[in-house]
Amino acid sequence: MSDKKQQVILQTSDDEQFTVEKIVAERSAMIKSMMEDLGEQEGQAIPLPNVSSSVLTKILEYCDHHKNEPLPAADSSDADDSRRKTSEIGEWDARWIQVDQEMLFEIILAANYLDIKPLLDVGCKTVANMIKGKTPEEIRKLFNITNDFTPEEEEQIRKENEWAEE
Amino acid sequence: MPPAASSSSSSTWVEPTKDDKPPKDADLKTAWAFLQVGVEHMMSRMHLGMSYSYYILLFTAVYDFCTQPGKASQPFSANRGGASLQGSDLYRSLHNWLSEHCKKMRVDSENLSDLELLKFYATQWDRYTTGARYVNKLFNYLNKHWVKREKDEGRKEVYTVYTLALVAWKQNFFRHFTVSSAGMSRLTQAVLRQIEQQRDGEVIDSTLLKKVIDSYVSLGLDEADAQRQNLDVYREYFQTPFLSTTEHYYRAESAAFVGSNSVSDYMKKAEARLQEEADRVNLYLHDSTRTDLKVKCENVLIAEHNNIMWNEFQSLLDADRVDDLSRMYGLLSRIVGGLDPLREKFGEHVKKAGQAAVEKVLPAPGATTETGKAETLDPKAYIEALLEVHSKYTEVVEGPFRAEMGFNKSLDQACRDFCNQNAAATTSTRSPELLASYCDQLLRKSNKDLDAESLEAALNQTMIIFKFIDDKDVFQKFYQKKLAQRLVGSLSASDDSESSMITKLKEVSGFDYTNKLSRMFTDVNLSKDLSERFKDKERTQGVSIDIDFSPLVLGTNFWPLAPQQTDFNIPREIRSTFDRFTAFHNEVHQGRKLTWLWHVSKNELRTTYLPQKYIFMTSSYQMAILTQFNENDSLSYNEILTGTKIAEGILKPQLALLVKAKVLLQEGENYDLNLNFKSKKIRVQLNQAVKSEQKQEAKEVLQAVDEDRKFIYQATIVRLMKGRKTMQHQALIQEVTAQISSKFTPKIPEIKKAIDYLIDKEYLERSAESNNT
Repeated sequence: MSDKKQQVILQTSDDEQFTVEKIVAERSAMIKSMMEDLGEQEGQAIPLPNVSSSVLTKILEYCDHHKNEPLPAADSSDADDSRRKTSEIGEWDARWIQVDQEMLFEIILAANYLDIKPLLDVGCKTVANMIKGKTPEEIRKLFNITNDFTPEEEEQIRKENEWAEE
Repeated sequence: MPPAASSSSSSTWVEPTKDDKPPKDADLKTAWAFLQVGVEHMMSRMHLGMSYSYYILLFTAVYDFCTQPGKASQPFSANRGGASLQGSDLYRSLHNWLSEHCKKMRVDSENLSDLELLKFYATQWDRYTTGARYVNKLFNYLNKHWVKREKDEGRKEVYTVYTLALVAWKQNFFRHFTVSSAGMSRLTQAVLRQIEQQRDGEVIDSTLLKKVIDSYVSLGLDEADAQRQNLDVYREYFQTPFLSTTEHYYRAESAAFVGSNSVSDYMKKAEARLQEEADRVNLYLHDSTRTDLKVKCENVLIAEHNNIMWNEFQSLLDADRVDDLSRMYGLLSRIVGGLDPLREKFGEHVKKAGQAAVEKVLPAPGATTETGKAETLDPKAYIEALLEVHSKYTEVVEGPFRAEMGFNKSLDQACRDFCNQNAAATTSTRSPELLASYCDQLLRKSNKDLDAESLEAALNQTMIIFKFIDDKDVFQKFYQKKLAQRLVGSLSASDDSESSMITKLKEVSGFDYTNKLSRMFTDVNLSKDLSERFKDKERTQGVSIDIDFSPLVLGTNFWPLAPQQTDFNIPREIRSTFDRFTAFHNEVHQGRKLTWLWHVSKNELRTTYLPQKYIFMTSSYQMAILTQFNENDSLSYNEILTGTKIAEGILKPQLALLVKAKVLLQEGENYDLNLNFKSKKIRVQLNQAVKSEQKQEAKEVLQAVDEDRKFIYQATIVRLMKGRKTMQHQALIQEVTAQISSKFTPKIPEIKKAIDYLIDKEYLERSAESNNT
C-alpha cells in the first residue's frame, strides 16, 4: 500500500484489459476482499467473465469519480438505511446514469456481481424513479412486459392495494 | 491430515483453468464438483497460494449458480415465488463437505492424547478457521442473498458460511472428544493436565493452551445472532471442569501445606497462588472466568482456612509482625466477613494495650511520697502513655491494614474505651481532668523544655485524646479553670499557643464549646487596655505610685471564678489605689458591678525589716496579714482576725503557710515576725495553693459540670418538645441522648430526672392516656 498509484489489470469477458488504480478497482468489494485474501499478484490480470468492456468502461468512470469516498462497511446493509430510503440521486450520478435501458440493467447486474453497493443503489433508484407515478399499463410498456394476469386476478390485486391509491 | 501428506499433494496441485469452469446454467453436480476442488484447496493448501483468475472463476461459479433462473429444487424457499435464489443446494453441499472434512480430522486425532492432541488440535484449528474465512468470502454472494433471506425469514439453522464451518467443526470434531470415562472431553482433559503441570512448576506452552481455549470461546455460537458471543461451550466444556479441578487441586495442596508449615508461610503461599491464577486468566483463559476462578480460589485458599488465620492474628499482633499482618489483611479482605473477627480482635488488643500502658505509668498502689501522701498520677506520663498506644496502632492500621474503614473504627472505639475507662480513670471524668492538667502543664510558662513547634505538636497530640473523651464538658470546665489561672497569674507560655489550642478545640467541638474560653482571652486583653488607661490617668493626675498595680477586669459570665465568702479589710497601704480604680472603673463602665477577687490576686512585698532584702510573692490575704505586721512585730490570732476581717476558714491555712515558710513564728495564739528570716532566694514564693483547696477545686468543677448538665438536659428536652408538641417518652429519651452525646455521655436516669423536673415546673405534662409526654 506504500505506493499510492498501485495499478491492477482488469480483464473483461471480451478479453479487453483495463489498467486502473488499485483504489478504483477496490470500489468493488469483491475485488477488494479477493486481493486481501490472495495477496499482491504483480502483473496478474483479474478476469471478470461476467462484465463486458462497454459496461466496465462505464462503471470505471463511476468508480474513478468516487474513488476517494469512504467504502461502506462490509456488513452495513442495514446501517446505511437512511441513504437507501431516499430516492435522491447525487447530481453527478444522475447525469452519469442517463443511459439507455439495456445499459442500465447491465450496470445493475455488474454492480451486483462486483458488489459495488452504492452503485447498485444508484441503479435501483433510477429504475424506481422510472416506475414512480406510472400506471401498470405504462410500466408494462416501459419494460416490455406482457400482462400475464387474468382480469379476475387483476381485480383481486387492485382490491388488495386500494389503500395505496391516492 | 499430517503436513507431509499435504505437501506431497501440493506438488501435484494444478489450478483448474477457465476451461474447467462449469457453464452458467450448470446443474448442482457439475457446479459443486468444480467448487469442491477450490474449497478443498482453500481449506487445506491455501499456503500454496491461489491466482486471481482461479479465485474469480470460483466466485463467478457461485454467483452464476445462485443467479440461475428459478428451478423447482428449492424446498427451503419455495414460498418465495419467482425469487431465483438457488442457495440451498449449494449450501447443503458445502455443509456436507465441511462435515466430512471434520470427520477426517477426527479419525486422525483418535490416537492422540495430551500434548500431542493439543498440538494437533491447535494446528488444525488454525488452518481450518483461516480456510473457512477465505471460503466465507468466496461464498459471499451466497451469504448475502440466500443465507440472508433465509435468516430474515426466521430460519434458525442457516448460518453464514464461516459460522457454518464452525458448526460443522463442533458437531463433527469437537463434540467427539467427549468419550472419555469421566464424561469430560479428552481435549479438555489434556488442557487441564497441562495446567496442572504448570501449577506443579513445570514450563508449558501457554500460547498453545490459549489457542485451544480460544477455540472453545469461538465455538459458542448464538443461534439467533451470530454477532453475539455466547460462552455456553466454553462454560460447559472448559470452565466447569476447570473450576472443579482447580478446587480439588488447591484444597489438597493447602491442606497438606497447612499441616506442615507455619501460618505465615501458608499466607505467603496463598498469596502467590492467587496471583498465579489471576495471571493465568490474563495468559490464556477467557476473561469471564476471572471472577468465578477468583471466588473459587479465595474460597479454597482463604475461607476454608480462615480459622487458623484468625487464631494466628493475636500472636502476630503481639509480636508486631507487620508484614504478616499486612498479608493476612490482604487475604482476608478478599472474602466476605473475613475481616470482622480481625477488627474485633484488633479493637480488643488495642484496648488492652491502652490499659496496660496506663497501668505502667500508674504508681504502685503502696507507693507513697516522703510526705506520706499517696503519690499522684502525673498527667504528662498518663497522656503520653495513651498517645503512644494510639500512635502505634494508628501506624498498624495505616500500614498493614491500609487504613481500612473498619479498622479505623475499631481503633477509634478501642481508644475511646481505654481513654475513658482504665486503671487510672475509674470514672469517666478522670481522663478529661488529667488531660486538662496536661494541657496546663504544656501551656504554662514554667514549661521550658519545649520550643514553639514541638509545643504545637504536643497540643495537636492532646487533641487526639480529646476526640476520644466522652465527657468533653468536664474537660471544658477543667480547662477553663486552668486557663483562668494561667491568665490571671500571667502564667501562659505564649498567647499564640493558647489561641491555637482554643482554635483546635473549636474545630472539634464547635463555637459554643470554646465561646467562654475565647471570651476569657479577650477579656484579659481588654483589661490590659483598661489598666493602661488607668495608669495614664494616675500619671497625669500626679498621683505618686509606690505600688505597682495591675488589675484585671473580667466578665463574670465567662470566668469560673467566684468571690469567696469572706469579709476583707483592705489594708491601708493599698486602700487609696483601690478606691481610685473603683472610681475609674465606674466612670468607664457605668452600671457594671465591680467585684474584687482577692483570693486570685497576687502581690509582691519588699521586706525592709531584714538585713537582706527579700521579695515575698504572696496572695492578697497573706499581704493583708503581713501588712498588719508593719506596725507590730507580734500579733495575736484575734488581732489579725479583726485587723484583716478574713473568714477564719481562710485565714488559718494562710497563716499556717506563713509559719511553715518561717516568715512568722507561732507561739500559741501569738504570731511573731521572724526577724531572722533567711532564704537562698531573693524572691520567696509564699503563695502556694493550700492542699485542701486543690481537692476542693476538682470537686467544685465536677459540681459545676453536673449543674451545667442539668441545664443541658432540660434545654434539650424543651427544645425538642417545642418542635414536636407531643412525643413518646422513649422516643424523647432517644432523641435527647442522640443530641447530647457529642458533648458527653448522657445518663438516662438524669434525663428522666430532668423530665420530671420540667413536669414539676409545669413546662411539660404527661398526656392523659398512655405514657406519652
